[in-house]
Amino acid sequence: MNPVTSIGLSTAPTCPSACGRRVWERLKGFVSLASRLSTPRLASQEQVRKAEPSLLDRERSIAPSGYSRWLVPPAALAIHLCIGQVYSFSVFKIPLTQLLGVNKSLPGDWKQTQVAWIFSLAIVMLGLSAAVFGRWLEKAGPRKAMFAAAVCFALGFYVSYFGVATHQLWLIYLGYGFIGGTGLGLGYISPVSTLIKWFPDRPGLATGMAIMGFGGGAMIGSPLGIQLMAHFHSAQDTGVGKTFLVMGTMYFLLMMFGVFTIRVPRDGWKLENWTPSEKPQALITTHNVDVDTAFGTKQFWLLWIVLCTNVTAGIGILEQASPMIQELFKGTIGPLAAGGFVGLLSLFNMAGRFLWSSASDYLGRKQTYFVFFVLGAVLYLVLPRTGGDHLNSVILFVSIAVILISMYGGGFATMPAYLGDLFGTYHVSAIHGRILTAWSVAGVLGPVLVNYMRDYQIEHGVDHAGAYQTTLFVMSGLLVVGCIANLMVRPVPQKYWLPSVPEHSDYNLEPQRSH
Amino acid sequence: MADIGKHSWKVAIFFAWLVVGVPFAWGVYNTLLSSVQLFDPAQTQVGSK
Repeated sequence: MNPVTSIGLSTAPTCPSACGRRVWERLKGFVSLASRLSTPRLASQEQVRKAEPSLLDRERSIAPSGYSRWLVPPAALAIHLCIGQVYSFSVFKIPLTQLLGVNKSLPGDWKQTQVAWIFSLAIVMLGLSAAVFGRWLEKAGPRKAMFAAAVCFALGFYVSYFGVATHQLWLIYLGYGFIGGTGLGLGYISPVSTLIKWFPDRPGLATGMAIMGFGGGAMIGSPLGIQLMAHFHSAQDTGVGKTFLVMGTMYFLLMMFGVFTIRVPRDGWKLENWTPSEKPQALITTHNVDVDTAFGTKQFWLLWIVLCTNVTAGIGILEQASPMIQELFKGTIGPLAAGGFVGLLSLFNMAGRFLWSSASDYLGRKQTYFVFFVLGAVLYLVLPRTGGDHLNSVILFVSIAVILISMYGGGFATMPAYLGDLFGTYHVSAIHGRILTAWSVAGVLGPVLVNYMRDYQIEHGVDHAGAYQTTLFVMSGLLVVGCIANLMVRPVPQKYWLPSVPEHSDYNLEPQRSH
Repeated sequence: MADIGKHSWKVAIFFAWLVVGVPFAWGVYNTLLSSVQLFDPAQTQVGSK
């Protein structure tokens, strides 16, 4: 086929030169026309591209019609299951101290005390990044924040791989501790607001599901890390570096599932077949408080004390679970059984996050914390009496310990809904981020308190089993302080309320609950 | 059409929970296995107490 005729140009067969000129002119005209037509279109596409929100923007994550809110909890879980890995970091502790010797530590290998800083730094960064980036998160939306969390968390593993490969500890501090820790904070708070908005009828259940994932993350991270290291282990390699690479990639992919599954409700969305309670409830507001304003309220700091005391007391058990059960039941409980006890505590820590938080939807947040503090204070007093020198009941000891640890987990998971009740849903993720600094403080305070008191007593002649008694009594006292703080919580005064919700805010800010 | 849409969302929910449920269940299973040692008579004398 003649290419000229094929594009629809007429030809004059009798005059080749004139024909050629005409074809040339036509082609030029065609190109010119095409250029004129395409140039403005390309320009407008460019403009459209500029104006169009990116895939990660809040506008692109608004739920389409028919979207089910039950897709949001798995999206949040995908993030929390990954970042919860931080609590299983201890599986890398010994291998990291044997990088040169492979099966034993050599003089040039890192010390356990040096390696321990990696976890501490990650937890400190969790609290700091949650506090610092909370406001940005509210503006950027959950998808962008979750993406940033995934990038930071995976990057942390990759940088740590280079730290292992080059035997540079500072690279692991930077990678897993600083960069990965930033991802932890961002990931922890990113789905909170969204969950509370999708579940106005059951905010406790919704946030409980996500925060339960953080507890579950350690259960995945620990066997995964151990099995991967065993797989990559060789005579020349501990397998830690390659494990970091694989885990970073796996976690990134799972977090991406969360990133692209999460959706925010469209403006004006209302839950079908649900009407807010007509009965006024003093501690559940229909108003919103800005994060900076909330930071200056008495209520914020009371809840900060509530979280800090609850977490410190829980750490009192977690920190010494294994030696405590062995020393209280000398001759009955061995190291392997004690390891089983630690596993059982992890299960109840995770279950408590979901169960207590869900129960708080019915009990009320203040009442739920009241149970934590009163029941907890009593149980901490009873716990040392179950030991070999007194009641000598392992079953009773284990039963009390799992209830206490379930309330520790419950305290974490119920907090976002408590904050949502008091300050509204507008900046709840950001406020939650700031209150997590209480966790950072408790993370340092708890172990220091427990270890210092224990060492002090042993130095002064108290036997190992007896040394736990004073420690647990102090934990009980801490819970009394938390109880007082919780009882002092009152509704946020009107002067702190936002007069109206700012435009272009992250979420639909129609109050979804009245009273 | 609405029914098809509704069905698709149900499938999406199923797969979404599967994606997080499988690793979660694996983690819980592993932890349960280690917890069982607390009740293992070879490791402890819980039953006799």
